[in-house]
Amino acid sequence: MSVVSLELREKRHRLGLKGPRAAEWLAAQGVELPMTPNTWTQSEGTGAADALLVARLGSAEFFLEDGTDGTALERISPSLDQNPPGVYPVLREDWAFHLGGDGVHDVLAQVCNVNFAALSLDSRPLIMTLMVGVAVLVVPQSAGGGGQGTAATRHYRIWCDPTFGPYLGESLGAVVIECGGRYTGVSG
Amino acid sequence: MPLAAAQAGAQVALADESLRLTGNGAPTALVQAVRGSASITLFPATVAAGCYADHWVALAQPARMTKMRAGAVVFATGVIEQPAVFRNNDLPGVMLASGAARLAARHSVAPGRRVVIIAANLDAYVTCLELHARGVRVAAIVDLRTAPESDAAVSACAALGLLMLRAHAPYEALRGPEGTVAGLMVAPVTEDGRLDGSAPRRIDCDAILMSVGWAAATQLYLQAGGSTRFSEELQQFVPVDSPPGIFAAGRMNGVYDLESRLADGRRAGSQAAAHAGYGTSNGAVVARSTRCPSHRFPIFDHPLAKNFVDFDEDLQVKDLENAAQEGFDSSELLKRYSTVGMGPSQGKHSNMNALRILARFRGVDVARLGLTTARPMYHPVPMKLLAGRSFYPERRTPCDAQHGALGAVWMPAGNWRRPEYYAVPGESRAQSIDAEVHAVRSSVGLIDVGTLGKIEVYGPDSAELLDRVYAGRFSDLKVGMTRYGLMLDESGVIVDDGVIARLGEEFYYFTTTTGGSATVFRELLRLNALWGLDCTLVNVTGHRAAFNFAGPSSRGILQQVTDVDLRDEAFPYLAVRSGQVAGAAARLMRVGFVGELGYEIHVAAGRGREVWKALCAAGAPQSLRPFGVEAQRVLRLEKGHFIVGQDTDGLTDPHEANAMWAVAMKKPFFIGQRSLRILQARGPRQKLAGIELAATAPLPKECHLVIDKGSIVGRVTSVTHSRALNKSIGLAMLSPELAQVGRDIQIRVDNGDLLAARVAPAPFYDPKNLRQKAGAGA
Repeated sequence: MSVVSLELREKRHRLGLKGPRAAEWLAAQGVELPMTPNTWTQSEGTGAADALLVARLGSAEFFLEDGTDGTALERISPSLDQNPPGVYPVLREDWAFHLGGDGVHDVLAQVCNVNFAALSLDSRPLIMTLMVGVAVLVVPQSAGGGGQGTAATRHYRIWCDPTFGPYLGESLGAVVIECGGRYTGVSG
Repeated sequence: MPLAAAQAGAQVALADESLRLTGNGAPTALVQAVRGSASITLFPATVAAGCYADHWVALAQPARMTKMRAGAVVFATGVIEQPAVFRNNDLPGVMLASGAARLAARHSVAPGRRVVIIAANLDAYVTCLELHARGVRVAAIVDLRTAPESDAAVSACAALGLLMLRAHAPYEALRGPEGTVAGLMVAPVTEDGRLDGSAPRRIDCDAILMSVGWAAATQLYLQAGGSTRFSEELQQFVPVDSPPGIFAAGRMNGVYDLESRLADGRRAGSQAAAHAGYGTSNGAVVARSTRCPSHRFPIFDHPLAKNFVDFDEDLQVKDLENAAQEGFDSSELLKRYSTVGMGPSQGKHSNMNALRILARFRGVDVARLGLTTARPMYHPVPMKLLAGRSFYPERRTPCDAQHGALGAVWMPAGNWRRPEYYAVPGESRAQSIDAEVHAVRSSVGLIDVGTLGKIEVYGPDSAELLDRVYAGRFSDLKVGMTRYGLMLDESGVIVDDGVIARLGEEFYYFTTTTGGSATVFRELLRLNALWGLDCTLVNVTGHRAAFNFAGPSSRGILQQVTDVDLRDEAFPYLAVRSGQVAGAAARLMRVGFVGELGYEIHVAAGRGREVWKALCAAGAPQSLRPFGVEAQRVLRLEKGHFIVGQDTDGLTDPHEANAMWAVAMKKPFFIGQRSLRILQARGPRQKLAGIELAATAPLPKECHLVIDKGSIVGRVTSVTHSRALNKSIGLAMLSPELAQVGRDIQIRVDNGDLLAARVAPAPFYDPKNLRQKAGAGA
């Protein structure tokens, strides 16, 4: 039987930035940026728990999420209070999910038109698409880093607008459970 | 084609409508090779029902729908035989020749005992020979042309000794006693299709087979983004421009001879494989056929009509000519007006002839008209194949659970669910709504308005952007103040409204209607890009919770949980302030939508619940009640505020809605300004007016009609009973002469009765707005 799990992730520090000088400002804060639109980077840190994820949405918008023990956003956020020109904060109250397991692509095939199984992770793609009818941001990751990765080593981090969070969680969770998996939901 | 792609290393899926792969005349060895290839997956009895973006093809199989995303797609969809159009061509026994041949070859079913074939191509003669070989008696071949091509099949038919007429056409099919074909009247026809019906000749038969031409099955190719042109030489549409990864081959591509079709398939297969990353493209472009397989006008008039063009929709030649006469004289308009091609066959047998009729009517070539693109599904698809998960995204505000715990009765609002009202044990619906309204008017109420669209705009040109997209002026709005905004479209019609707050010199925060947030944001992004302004838009609709805390006691209660100085002198009416509410960073706007002292409180979504709880707790000693959408409707109606989309419609401009106060006509430009000038000069067609009815009168419904001297002169757009005013009040869209205060009107209700009402000044409640401005009991 395939194993698949959907987990509603605990709250983490998130920051959105938009504007013509957002990239320049982030770089000045020492943040490693994805160079091409719709890709992501993750700082090495000392471990996954404090890694900072930086996703580039289009050319001039960024989404940052600290690891559970991360402090990067705490460090750079105060600088935004000085209202740097051309750098605009974007409130990010997203709900975040983690979908993984060797049955993960069976679930995704039922809820989304993107063929995630065929996706190469070498370029660290960031996918903005609809899942069960809800606009989502998806970062596919592999335990081994880039490349194709097997379904067992692939997992997907999914973010959505918080007002769609309950619906997305319930809908995805129902499919996961039908596929023999489990949904670990917590209150948003 | 599939072999060429497979040999290049590609994995190939071959979808074939036939139950068994036959190859449609291809050599047996080739068919066997396709069947035996490990790289080719056969989908027999499968219809490609639709082609979508990014090479996404819907394959309707007998038991399931397969959604296929291909690296490249080759359309070898062939051609569809077209009927001739003549009187009584809908009788049983009138058939397409290819259908008759298939019946005979695959199922040993004879189309009739004595058959007449109407011909305009070589296929007719081949079919004649096939039927003759199977024992079917062919009485005659009636060729529309003056001279058929020189071919062995024609000679072989002549040798059979059957009647072979040239330059003749069907004039009328004759009905037998059982309602089926009993004969065919034929008459001489000229090259340009003129029929001389003065002395038609009768041929007895019980089946009439038509072989007069073909239409290319280009619809899937068109859905995939391909484009076509009409070939006069072939009398069919042929592909001319294919998007990347899309290829056409075979008869659909205008290539008819078998050897040429095989070569064209190899060319398309190798190109598709190369596009998908396998091998290199090879094979020269194959020349299209030079022999025309289709008659240019197989359509024949008859004084008694019943010459059907569309068998699904029962459309005759005269129906299409009448449509064109009415002015629906483009292929798109003709389709929509006459419904040609809208039946289950999606125009497979009617669109081509309809185009020819339209071209004749307009005196132009078919090439001038163009082809419409059928929507998916191109073929009828069983409902069972479409069954599956259904997703209806629903939005919930951060306080959804709190509303549920308070007894919320839900209602849909766009894709949100919102409390219509909060049910209280022992109270009816009306009593609960009434109590919620009373709480706001007498003490304090709290409503979740998180569904409002919420957008931020930053940058040096943010004021310029707002000045252009809203009818009011916002460049002169002081920092720390708000102003109502009205959004129009290019024709001057009201499309949205909201409150715009200026939080900094180059930073605005504004709300939109609940239903309009996504549309407004998308349109603003488009306009911002179009105008090249230096500003940035951020949609925070879902990321911010918002509440309206309203009532004469609201200030005192709110002051308990906020560090913002709420005194009038520090926080006047229409001001906006930032501060903490229940420990959460908040934006507070002093607005008056419900007509009382009130504050809209906007916080991050994640803090919404605790702020809601804190406000409820602080207000409890003063009998705070949460209120829902229904109570809010009553409250705003007492104030005479219109709701965009309910009290306005798709034609309402600010002048008609009495909202010119929110329009700055002196601005250099805003969207809708030019149209508004024209509309102002023309004068209003209708006016939104307040109406009132006696408290004892039955309540009309929204959309009930206003009648004057037996004519419809308006409609009720909103109506409710106001406890505060002890009467029923509403808004109605009326003809301008009726929209005069004091004018008596009559409203026709469901049972036909006429209710008496009177036009009244709005606002109905606190007309000088003293309560919301001063915050004191008026």
